[in-house]
Amino acid sequence: MRSALTIAGVSVAVAAVVALVGAVGSFERQLLAVFQNRGIDLVVAGATTVQRLQSSLDEDLGRRIARLPGVKHVACALIENFSFPELDVLGVVVRGLEPNSFVLDEVALIEGRKLEPGDSDAMLIGKVLAKTLSKRAGDQFELVPGRHFRIVGVFDSFNLLESNSLVVPLAALQDLMDRRGKATVFMVVAADSSQAAVESLAAQIKPLAPNIDVLPARQYVDSLIEVRLARAVAWFTSTLALIVGTIGVVNTMLTAVFERTRELAVLRAVGWRRATIVKMILFESALLSMIGAAVGCAMAWLLTQLLRLTPTGRLISGEIGWDVVAQGCVLAFFVGIAGGGYPAWRAAKLLPTEGLRHE
Amino acid sequence: MNNRAAETPRHIALSNCLLCAERLSKFYPDGRVQALDDLSFHIARGEYVAVMGPSGSGKSTLLNLLGALDRPTSGEVYFEGKPLAEFYPWDRFRCEQVGFVFQSFHLLPALTALENVQIPMLETRRSAAERKATAEALLELVGLASRRDHLPQALSVGERQRVAVARALANNPPLLLADEPTGNLDSAAAEAVLDLFARLHSERRLTLVVITHDSALSRRAQRLLRLKDGRLIADEPAGGNGPASRR
Repeated sequence: MRSALTIAGVSVAVAAVVALVGAVGSFERQLLAVFQNRGIDLVVAGATTVQRLQSSLDEDLGRRIARLPGVKHVACALIENFSFPELDVLGVVVRGLEPNSFVLDEVALIEGRKLEPGDSDAMLIGKVLAKTLSKRAGDQFELVPGRHFRIVGVFDSFNLLESNSLVVPLAALQDLMDRRGKATVFMVVAADSSQAAVESLAAQIKPLAPNIDVLPARQYVDSLIEVRLARAVAWFTSTLALIVGTIGVVNTMLTAVFERTRELAVLRAVGWRRATIVKMILFESALLSMIGAAVGCAMAWLLTQLLRLTPTGRLISGEIGWDVVAQGCVLAFFVGIAGGGYPAWRAAKLLPTEGLRHE
Repeated sequence: MNNRAAETPRHIALSNCLLCAERLSKFYPDGRVQALDDLSFHIARGEYVAVMGPSGSGKSTLLNLLGALDRPTSGEVYFEGKPLAEFYPWDRFRCEQVGFVFQSFHLLPALTALENVQIPMLETRRSAAERKATAEALLELVGLASRRDHLPQALSVGERQRVAVARALANNPPLLLADEPTGNLDSAAAEAVLDLFARLHSERRLTLVVITHDSALSRRAQRLLRLKDGRLIADEPAGGNGPASRR
């Protein structure tokens, strides 16, 4: 019973690591894919903004970047987050893009058409969000009270983040948010994608405006406060769970050592070395933890599926990477070793003569 | 009385002496309880020695010191002429040179008889197959071959003690130390264990040091050491076969 409870404790800790850290990792990977799959070499965003997704840059900067030699494409994007509590849908990313932006070149339409120049109230909707909201091409959607957009197309995407997003004309979103002439980021594709050429291009862009960061996509994603916060919260929660799991292992193994005092004394009496006793206790605690890890991974999968049912769960892919599973297992192993360490030391310290007298 | 005030030799030259206790004293940690008081004696290789005395006379303490389970406050135990300190770490010494038999058997309840016998061998380099074969042979020796896959709770107390004897012999030690081995047994089971000891002594030339309250056991030994209040009050021939050791 005690072992079962310890396994349960470790499995909760591992489930927290695998589910939370895994979900954050999956979100990061998808965000990165938004840039990398379109060959975006550099992202230009406000340097002083704590929340980069709220940075406000002059739209004109995009035109100046486009004029630089070595630039193949520049896309200007205004990014906003909308929630529709009445529809039980939170955290929908709305991207304002120029209809002829290269970002929309490879949009895979499954219904309707793309945005066209001159569209002012048109909207593209990702397939997963369309399904959640029960919308299709031709339907109207009220983005903010009193402001309706016409859904002109439904697109599919390899990327869950995109598949859960809305795209509207840049000018329309600027009007709606009262941010005329403003953009959140510029996405730059270099003519030459070699590292030296990209670095040189970044150096040319940097002086074009004060307080901007010109970053490769990976660095940009890493710098997002939302990602960093999510990562920190996931690890904080997981660390707490791991500490509780370790305490559980210590408690179980200490009790086991106490209960088996005479048994351990007999082993010492018949010639077992202290090191062998230590190894035996550590093996037992590591085994408990690894069983906990296996159960925890299964729980994490279940937890992920449950999280997908929450209002923001649309952004969770539900896939658990082997790297995260391995991370959970390695941590469980260390929980076992850390939790078994003190009991093993106590067991090794036991004098056979004392142990044999133990009732 | 055999307490000697003679100088303690660093190396005992008696070639036939397996164990030698020289002026052994043992105080328990608070320093007020003296369990053993200046004990000296020799035990020859192949000798069968019984140790008797009332409760609290220091018998178990003596056994612990002879088996390197504890260290004396003063004095020295010599094994094959060398002080036990030279055998440190004692785990290995106990593993290779000593077999212990306890009054309460102390078998591991979750392991079968065959597995219990293999426990001391886990500290040796013997392969699993060798360990198993040795354990089977030892269970055969103690007459429990057919009970090899039984857990201790499925065995009678007499059978448990015989498994414990087989375990004590696992690494073929020259010395067997037994603490009240018949103390928890009925007379028939005790008799079987004593027969086994007698066989081990005569056939394997095993050196046996057995603590007992059982006069039947002491009669089977060759030599009897009597303790009282931590002192050796008598060292005399018992009823068993074979020559008693000479000092």
